[in-house]
Amino acid sequence: MNDILLEIKNLHARVGEKEILKGVDLTIRKGEIHAVMGPNGAGKSTLSAVLAGKPQYEVTEGSITFMGRDLLAMAPEERSWAGIFLSFQYPVEIPGVSITNFMKTAVDCRREALGLEPMPTPEFMKLMKDKMNFVQMKPELRKRDMNAGFSGGEKKRNEIFQMALLDPVLSILDETDSGLDVDALRIVASGVNSLHTPEKASIVITHYQRLLDYIVPDVVHVLKDGRIVRTAGREIVAEIEEKGYDSIA
Amino acid sequence: MKKVSIISPSCPAFSLPAEYAVGAGEELSLVIVVLPGVSVDIPLDITIEGEGASVNVDALYLCSGSEKVSLKVNMNHVSGGSVSNQLIRGVVGGNARTDFFGLIKVAPDAQKTEAYQSNYNLLLSEEAKVETRPQLEIYADDVKCSHGAAVGKLDEEEQFYMRSRGITLKEARALQMISFVSPVVEKIEDEATRTLVYNSLRTI
Repeated sequence: MNDILLEIKNLHARVGEKEILKGVDLTIRKGEIHAVMGPNGAGKSTLSAVLAGKPQYEVTEGSITFMGRDLLAMAPEERSWAGIFLSFQYPVEIPGVSITNFMKTAVDCRREALGLEPMPTPEFMKLMKDKMNFVQMKPELRKRDMNAGFSGGEKKRNEIFQMALLDPVLSILDETDSGLDVDALRIVASGVNSLHTPEKASIVITHYQRLLDYIVPDVVHVLKDGRIVRTAGREIVAEIEEKGYDSIA
Repeated sequence: MKKVSIISPSCPAFSLPAEYAVGAGEELSLVIVVLPGVSVDIPLDITIEGEGASVNVDALYLCSGSEKVSLKVNMNHVSGGSVSNQLIRGVVGGNARTDFFGLIKVAPDAQKTEAYQSNYNLLLSEEAKVETRPQLEIYADDVKCSHGAAVGKLDEEEQFYMRSRGITLKEARALQMISFVSPVVEKIEDEATRTLVYNSLRTI
């Protein structure tokens, strides 16, 4: 089927000596929102890190194909250019580098890889303004240093702003709900929902049901001890909330 | 009084006075930047002689080849009720050698002194060598003093964050260096000079 965006087959990965993913299979098609749920230590964040190409994670077995390309052969920046975006659980603070400077660098690196000239500044500033407006970020934040001194909610909103600006095909949201109050959660979720199109897909990684009240998944996977132990529709979320992860096998 | 000294291959000497006496209520601010390609010895001897004096020393050395840069700061608090702040950063690559020696001395009568010093270094190659020797000699008991020194490498978590946004490793390193040196560079008021310093990071 040519509507497959991402295909993970028998993925094994480790950090140092510790094997964390022990054979993950996952297929994601255009237009789908997948939730990956699981208890702490199940490997949820490892899965997102491996998809984005974090250097410390070693894939020992298996394959990942993204839009027909061998994802594991690509550097993290190449994956971004191809359309993968990871919203970090803990976004990094970069004092001394403004959001504007950071995003201009990101946009121009991609353009250079595509053989294009840097984006003209007026065009870029308009893009910044539109996307900040889109996630209801205060315009004056564009001059602020990247995440430096931001609250938890501001950092997550900044992640969704970056996602809106980079316009990825596959978005991976790693515990985007952690540290958010209900208002921030709503804004982040509505940002994610309105960026979703039939051509795109998202993976929402979460421990709790809460975020999935706002971003409604088509498919839910339960990850335990490095394996997907159950794949079901959204009805399983309520079952997990009621009985906990111990009941799922 | 604020003095800025940019030491570069075309202007390789340290042109500021080495000795300063700072009296009551006076302010002294020195900003010293050593650009890549220069070997230089910088001695600073600062004596704080009056109450309410305030001294800032902000220094940055960028080394990429086989330069040798040494910075020696003697911060002498003779009388109390005054503040000194030293912010020293280094980016050291190639097979350069840098040496920071910083002594904060607080005399027995210099109560209510506040003296701070930090020396952080970014080591970019295995062959480069960074020495940092912070020292405190405190003879008064009612003072606030701290010093910190570290030598580190570019943080991989930061790099991964930037690369995941499509920023190449080369540009990510450049942004990391900008981030690292900005606390010193932002003390320079002249924008053209700030740009000169930031751009020189790309030659390291």
